[in-house]
Amino acid sequence: MSFEEFQNCARLYVIGALEPEELQDFEAARKQYGPAAEDFINQCYGLHEAFALSLKPAKASNAIKDKLMSMVRERGQGQSGPRSA
Amino acid sequence: MSSVVDPNLQAAPGSEPDVATSEKSMTSAVDREPGAPSDVDLMLGIQSGDADALSQLYDRYSGIMKALILRIIHNETEADDLLQEVFMEIWNQAKNFSAEKGKALGWMVTLTRRRAIDALRKKQAYARAEERLQAEPERQPLAWVENATEKDIEAGDTRVLMAKVINSLPEAQQQVIELAFFQGMSQREIAFHTNIPLGTVKTRLELGLKKIYDGLKELRDEL
Repeated sequence: MSFEEFQNCARLYVIGALEPEELQDFEAARKQYGPAAEDFINQCYGLHEAFALSLKPAKASNAIKDKLMSMVRERGQGQSGPRSA
Repeated sequence: MSSVVDPNLQAAPGSEPDVATSEKSMTSAVDREPGAPSDVDLMLGIQSGDADALSQLYDRYSGIMKALILRIIHNETEADDLLQEVFMEIWNQAKNFSAEKGKALGWMVTLTRRRAIDALRKKQAYARAEERLQAEPERQPLAWVENATEKDIEAGDTRVLMAKVINSLPEAQQQVIELAFFQGMSQREIAFHTNIPLGTVKTRLELGLKKIYDGLKELRDEL
């Protein structure tokens, strides 16, 4: 796979649109191109940002935030930070 | 056909944003008060267990995250529930974020989109969404523009710039990207859903994503 073909696949990969049979070749090329491949994939995740930022923000509920913060602080009482997975 | 871009935020003819005035929002993703912590600062705060950092991150990005969730699952109550779950996951998984690997917003959007698409499929709403998409009348970009107020456009330079890049695509490419990104469909599912040959779906996706990627790169280089 050429690097240009890899780039095309990488853009599909980050949005989860690579078909299973394409994934194997993609992963092989990813290894082949090493850091340049990883760097390009990271850049491709900018596509996610672009799609999200193209949306008009929705009104998020204050009640949801209060509930969230209550849960976080409750959990925080017994530990010093986010729990380990 | 549905567009990738939010209906209310398409760049109106004659209202193209001045790129120079958009630098602030491009570099910080959203406007923030002078002296306010950066996204990375907030993520580092969350990593160290600072709940106030999560509170600030919520204030900054909950609107965008909810819009993304709503775009995928189309249900206000479910979107609120999922938004809460997403921010809880951000709190729990913050240790996996590395500023060297990418921006905080990108990391959060990736996580949010995945959770929303998972929810869509788990609730077996996938088929219903498909039906809705098929039944949905074609929305006209001009009507969307008319719904956007000048204030919306001024306040959303980043969104307008992004919308401008995405809207420059042919509708056929926007359609397949919409189905892949916001509905989480595979190339085969898109081909089945649209009756377009698989090879054509792949070509349209590749061309569309490349144009968006190149457009964003150009935009960032200009800034």
